[in-house]
Amino acid sequence: MLNRNSLFDAMSGISDDYLASAAVLLGDMKEDNLMHLDSSRKQARARKAGRILLIAAVLVCLFTVTAFAAGLFSISTRVPDAKETFQIHWDDSENGYLEWSDAKLVLTFPAVAESREIEFRPGWLPFELPEELPGSSPWNGISEDTWFRRFASESLCWAENAGRYPEEYKEIGQPILIETYSMAQFHDGGAMLMLYQTPENITEEHWDELGVDVLSFHGKQHFDERDIPEMDLHIDAYDIEYDYVLLSNEEKGWIIEVCGQLGMDTVRKVAENLEIRETGNTLTQADFQNKYLFIDGGVG
Amino acid sequence: MDDEAILNLYRLRQAAALTETEAKYGRLCFCVADRILNSREDSEECVNDTWLHPWNAIPPEKPKLFPAWLSRVTRNLAISRLREAHAAKRGGAEIDLVLDELAECIPGGTDPQRVVEANELTEAVNRFLAGLKPLERDAFVARYFYAASHAELSARTGWTVGKAKTVLRRSRLKLQTYLKEEGLC
Repeated sequence: MLNRNSLFDAMSGISDDYLASAAVLLGDMKEDNLMHLDSSRKQARARKAGRILLIAAVLVCLFTVTAFAAGLFSISTRVPDAKETFQIHWDDSENGYLEWSDAKLVLTFPAVAESREIEFRPGWLPFELPEELPGSSPWNGISEDTWFRRFASESLCWAENAGRYPEEYKEIGQPILIETYSMAQFHDGGAMLMLYQTPENITEEHWDELGVDVLSFHGKQHFDERDIPEMDLHIDAYDIEYDYVLLSNEEKGWIIEVCGQLGMDTVRKVAENLEIRETGNTLTQADFQNKYLFIDGGVG
Repeated sequence: MDDEAILNLYRLRQAAALTETEAKYGRLCFCVADRILNSREDSEECVNDTWLHPWNAIPPEKPKLFPAWLSRVTRNLAISRLREAHAAKRGGAEIDLVLDELAECIPGGTDPQRVVEANELTEAVNRFLAGLKPLERDAFVARYFYAASHAELSARTGWTVGKAKTVLRRSRLKLQTYLKEEGLC
């Protein structure tokens, strides 16, 4: 017999899409977690938000940007004190932000008011571009002529694609990731933060051919060993390591991040062979859904 | 890490799947549990129980939308825990109000011989939801799946508490009519 309990129980079978949409309304889940948005919303988000799923705009900046006084290099880095806090926009919190400490690296860029919107295509990759991959619709229909604003390749590591790509891909999460950012995002004095990965071997260069300043480093995040008694499971300690190459063009106001887990030589080769072009659009801070005063530059 | 990458870790039986899931969706699952259980301790235990389910289910299961799938697991675990708690005369809160409101959708003339199959009812609820406006649907699901309070709905939608109650009441009446038309009550 139908009663209030059976009706309540029936709610457990509500469609995933409706559950996710309501969870977003409640702030339990970020909209970026929705996988079935229509294409126009996806494109808008891809343009405005990139892969910044976790942390976006900031309300207040607690440090001053002084790094560009010398004007020699367009990316400035500093390792913040572990206690230094950054107020990062966070819709779900009572105050609308959360205070983050223990950031591993602060990267600051020139505070340009406008950025040229760019797109790129890889001139060289350590793998062939797949025409089609099971369970990976983003790959379908792309070719060597496709231009990107974001390029991610984690689907090459998925189990369905075992055997199509090198065995080593099974053990990693992201072979190569390429993303574009705009300095206009940081117009109010914000910065890109590495929240989790501790940087090593930071180097600065200038590549004349691409007309960019280049910052490279290795990032490592350590996970302690732990037990999960409920599952009678022991997890050994492990590290997640990435290499990063940031290309910065101060005159045009854009940044490209190339990173991945295939080693610095490979990441550099991908970066060196990028073909970059402007779309003709100019972006200001107002064009971004979130005012990225601080963003998580790490792969998360 | 995106959901497909996390699901891949489960398929590969990598323990990191658990840490990644907890890091990304721990808060979501806690909120789902806490609205029902109204107890931090119980909710944390419920969330811990949740993590076992994807580990056991994936593979072969392939969640279409992983956070929604986790929400459903957490909610079911929370309801089970709540029913145990009710037996011990504790717990409850918002969920009792939610159940009372749902009782309004079932008119007094229910045929006691009519045993409604759970799947049939679920499908009817989904068809009903498909006919609601998106914000009304979100509010309905937020209230009757997630057990969100009227105040929380008000804060999230920009409606007054009174309007939230009114919108939900209209939706309940529509559901009652719909279930009648479908011959389910």
